[in-house]
Amino acid sequence: MHTSDITDHISRRFNSDLEDLRNNVLKMGGLVETQLSKAISAIVSGDSALGLKVANDDYKVNDLEVTIDEECSRILATRAPAAGDLRLIVAIIKTITDLERIGDEAEKIGFLASKLATMDRPVDSYRELKNLGNHVLQMLRDAMNAFARFDVESSMTVVREDEHVDEEYDTIARQCITFMMEDPRSIKRVMNVTWAARALERIGDHAKNICEYTIYMVEGRDVRHTAYIEPTEEAS
Amino acid sequence: MPSSWQKFLTQVFLVLAAGTFIGWLYGRPELGLLAASLGLISWQTRRLLTFERALRTKNFDDFRLGEGIWQQMYSRFSHERHRAQNYKRQYRKLLKEVRKSTNAMPDGGIVLNAAFEIINCNKPAQKLVGFRGKQDRGQRVDNILRDPRFIRYLESGEYKDGIDIFSPVHEGDWLFCRLVPYGADQHLLLIRDITERKKLATMRRDFVANASHELRSPLTVVCGYLDMLVDAEDISPDWSKPIEQMQSQANRMNTIIAELLELSRLEAAGTERAEQSVDVAALLALAKKSYSGLSDTAEVNLSIESHVGILGSTAEIESVVSNLLSNAIRHTPADGKIHITWRSDDTGAELSVSDSGEGIAEEYLPRLTERFYRVDSGRSREGGGIGLGLAIVKHALMRHDATLEIRSELGVGSEFLCHFPASRMAIEAPLPIQSKGGCNKSDIVLS
Repeated sequence: MHTSDITDHISRRFNSDLEDLRNNVLKMGGLVETQLSKAISAIVSGDSALGLKVANDDYKVNDLEVTIDEECSRILATRAPAAGDLRLIVAIIKTITDLERIGDEAEKIGFLASKLATMDRPVDSYRELKNLGNHVLQMLRDAMNAFARFDVESSMTVVREDEHVDEEYDTIARQCITFMMEDPRSIKRVMNVTWAARALERIGDHAKNICEYTIYMVEGRDVRHTAYIEPTEEAS
Repeated sequence: MPSSWQKFLTQVFLVLAAGTFIGWLYGRPELGLLAASLGLISWQTRRLLTFERALRTKNFDDFRLGEGIWQQMYSRFSHERHRAQNYKRQYRKLLKEVRKSTNAMPDGGIVLNAAFEIINCNKPAQKLVGFRGKQDRGQRVDNILRDPRFIRYLESGEYKDGIDIFSPVHEGDWLFCRLVPYGADQHLLLIRDITERKKLATMRRDFVANASHELRSPLTVVCGYLDMLVDAEDISPDWSKPIEQMQSQANRMNTIIAELLELSRLEAAGTERAEQSVDVAALLALAKKSYSGLSDTAEVNLSIESHVGILGSTAEIESVVSNLLSNAIRHTPADGKIHITWRSDDTGAELSVSDSGEGIAEEYLPRLTERFYRVDSGRSREGGGIGLGLAIVKHALMRHDATLEIRSELGVGSEFLCHFPASRMAIEAPLPIQSKGGCNKSDIVLS
């Protein structure tokens, strides 16, 4: 499937409907990316106002999800799409759910950032969270780019990348436990750090899901919960 | 080529004449003519078919030599073909040069059609934003450049100013994007890396803030001792005048530093959150009261035509009002008039401070809000102005999504207008505004 594929319908309106829908999903993706990027910088710079702003802006993501969802239902009801178009709609319905969840996690991180800003700050100003965050943000960006380009290969790369995020999360969790054992007074603060890391790790999972939907959309293959890390066969 | 078709016509005529003659010899000239015509037609049809085959197979051996009309046609055709090929080669070379030069540009350039779909983009654009040359052709530009601010800019239709966005490729880098419409419905999107400029601006801001802060502590000591000296009794009266002047200058310096700090604080913060409602009418009444008691000043008239509040910070709106009002008083003679108006409609609210002072020449208007800018450097220091007031007003208004408009005529007076957008208006002034979609504590712990 290629971008031009969905511009090949007899009905012009249908084309533009599908194109607008896709465009809206990517717009939502852009919004979520910005939310996440702001949430990360709120944690790193200890900016509680920015963190609260992220938490308060989550309604925009939710609004967009509802709009896109309605639009999908409308297209399903009135156009009865088939084959590639149907897969596109199904993939979009699933993608926006994951995007909305990412938005929720970003909201959570923003809120945690505003709490962490009022507590003691470690000398490295949460470098490990920054690294994990930027890693996850890049994954999300790649996932949305792959969705925009119908790019299976990049999707596979993101899916594989998720393992590294999980490892990074494990390291942070272990580090946090050590801190808590060393100094019980820091438990309250370190727990928040753990929550934030956990939220970031979840965002990685959601980005991976989005890529799986992209693969489904392009190839019609469901690659969830399978041992599919065989790039040579997949890429063909 | 007249010779070749003359020859051709002569040939045809001769063949037909010969056929008629032979037919006439046998007593049936019309049959002879018919046979000759048929012969001519079949011969030419064969030539036509061979020529068509030659065109198809590009094997023109049959037509290379000779003088006949078909050979002539071939030589014209091949001549034209060579010329076309030459042009094509030249254009291709030119195109290559153009592409090379656009790729050599430091800024990214992307050609978009009416629906903002990418038609072409140069190498820097691919590097700065992560476009992929061939793969992204036909893709809408906001599918790849998804920053909400950029999408808003694209949808706004107002492309003159351009917009700063975060780079989607390098975390922390800044890009400047500007859309230039051209031709029929086409757009050129220019992208420039402005990370360095942003860094410099931050550095300048930090420097001003730090320097003012560092200057403040020694000044406090100086001011403290001067205060003591003013009240001291055992100092000779010769010194009282210098000490008084020193004190007033030290106070002036204090004000400058306080305003510089205020300015850098305003610059550093983003837009003010719209949580608190500011009762502008009450603020104006208070400001009028504090100035009306002074002697030798112009009369201040206040007309409140609206009771809407503004969502934002009370302290900042207050500083806008007091800066504008003190400017007006400073530049208006005692017999002049100052008029403050607060009004609103569906599109927004407006605060106007107009005076009948000396006015400002038009060429100075654009620079008025620069810090320390003075129209007449020799004169205005006596009035006690510092040169930061309008800069503070501008930044405070920017934080409230508002704009400052200055109208002035030399010798007639000036008017300062603050336009607040409708989104910043609070209809029910005293009620605190609840933020939308807030997240509460239990959400976090449970999920």
